[in-house]
Amino acid sequence: MTETVTPEELAGLMRQNAGIPVEPVDLTDHPDTSFEEYGLDSLGLLGIVAALENRHGSTMPADAEKCRTPGEFLDLVNQTLTKSGA
Amino acid sequence: MSNSRPDRRERRSPGRRTARAPGPAPAARRSVITGIGVIAPNGIGADVFWKSTHEGISVLDRVSREGCERLPLKVGGEVRDLEPATLVEERFLVQTDRFTHFAMAAADLALADARLGRADYADSPFSVGVVTASGSGGGEFGQRELQALWGKSSRFVGPYQSIAWFYAASTGQISIRGGFKGPCGVVCSDEAGGLDVFAHAAGAIERGTDAMIAGSAEAPLAPYSVVCQLGYEDLSTSDDPTRAYRPFTADACGFVPAEGGAMLVVEEESAALLRGARPRAWLAGHAATFTGPSRWPESREGLARAIQGALRSARCAPEEVDVVFADALGVPAADRAEALAITDALGAHGRRVPVTAPKTGIGRAYCGGPVLDVAAAVMAMEHGVVPPTPNVFDVCHDIDVVTGKARRAPLRTALVLSRGLMGSNSALVLRSAAPDGLRSDPTREGENA
Repeated sequence: MTETVTPEELAGLMRQNAGIPVEPVDLTDHPDTSFEEYGLDSLGLLGIVAALENRHGSTMPADAEKCRTPGEFLDLVNQTLTKSGA
Repeated sequence: MSNSRPDRRERRSPGRRTARAPGPAPAARRSVITGIGVIAPNGIGADVFWKSTHEGISVLDRVSREGCERLPLKVGGEVRDLEPATLVEERFLVQTDRFTHFAMAAADLALADARLGRADYADSPFSVGVVTASGSGGGEFGQRELQALWGKSSRFVGPYQSIAWFYAASTGQISIRGGFKGPCGVVCSDEAGGLDVFAHAAGAIERGTDAMIAGSAEAPLAPYSVVCQLGYEDLSTSDDPTRAYRPFTADACGFVPAEGGAMLVVEEESAALLRGARPRAWLAGHAATFTGPSRWPESREGLARAIQGALRSARCAPEEVDVVFADALGVPAADRAEALAITDALGAHGRRVPVTAPKTGIGRAYCGGPVLDVAAAVMAMEHGVVPPTPNVFDVCHDIDVVTGKARRAPLRTALVLSRGLMGSNSALVLRSAAPDGLRSDPTREGENA
């Protein structure tokens, strides 16, 4: 499974792994609003990275858990997935 | 607390220091309880809890939590009809254990009761701290993650496991959520830690902190947690809710565990009065001893010395104690030791003073249990009523256990006792905040000082 991560999937993971309710459209419209502003802490992002690795069967770069915004995170993660799927 | 002096009994407005006679140095900063938040099997909120406690309602019942049905523990005190989502925000449901949900909700209730809001400390966040006692941490959360570990792999263990199941979780989350940056800590000293937290709170206040959010809540009724308790030989495995937990009787067959607890707001008295808060009681004295795990005969001396130490630090004569909230373990040797400790420490008065153990109606919530007793003791003094000891009849020890229904009595001083299965013994002396409670008989004070 190597499809890219959509804003919908990220919103779902933020809710499921960290209990942060967020609309996918907000992630799309405001990709530079920081995770911190959404209330997502570093443990929450760490859990999301692990969940994506389990789900997509590929290892994420170490920088993934250091991303500050959803836009940055989706870019990095999807680059990785596209590469590994190619 | 330990330095409280008789001349502090005089209430004074914070802005105006009354002249004092020459004598000892100015007394330590006195700690008063201004808010109570309860999450208990017999009620959510201090008022509902008190009503059930006053009426002696027993809510002990068959343990119904999923996964516990076939375990040897049959009866417990569960917090039911409570949707965690109504207590805390979704992120805390995902990131923290049930024991922390309870503690956070209880802290909210206590802050509301004390009318202590962000506006009161926004400019001085370091003036408010948090201290909780914890007996077992987050067992339910831990079980779920450990099942993921052994059922799938380490890659499926969520990162929040690292903070959710350990003892300090509730203190940390309450502190972060409320923005309390003062002294924060966790007391891990057995069930008796539920009384020791108040000594820690009073100590922080003596050293300059204005307010402490102090207490404990536990959630030991998940399968993993229950299995951990099955090794306690003091655990009652009776399947009859009316007979499972009957301390001080010939039928005593162990204790029944419970979940829940309480958080209290403890404030420095003049700071509380300055912001218009209403002191509900004051923390007058505390002492703790240790006599070893399950060594109940030895706990007689340990508990007696804790009582004597607490009375000494409260400058309280034994005869001034108007009610005793007993530990009431429900194990014959432990009950005998406690009854003897009360009379060892209080003398002849120990046989006359009303003794109660309202926890027989809800079970023992480990560290949360003694905090619930403190909450009940404060409200007993406010109402002038000793609540009864549900399910207990035909007491077989030489103490006056209040059974059946509540007993009216003017209560100015309450003594709360707790022992842990691992050997901690603690005693806490509370004084009424009512004006006549603050001015106790000066001749008695002199005798004891």
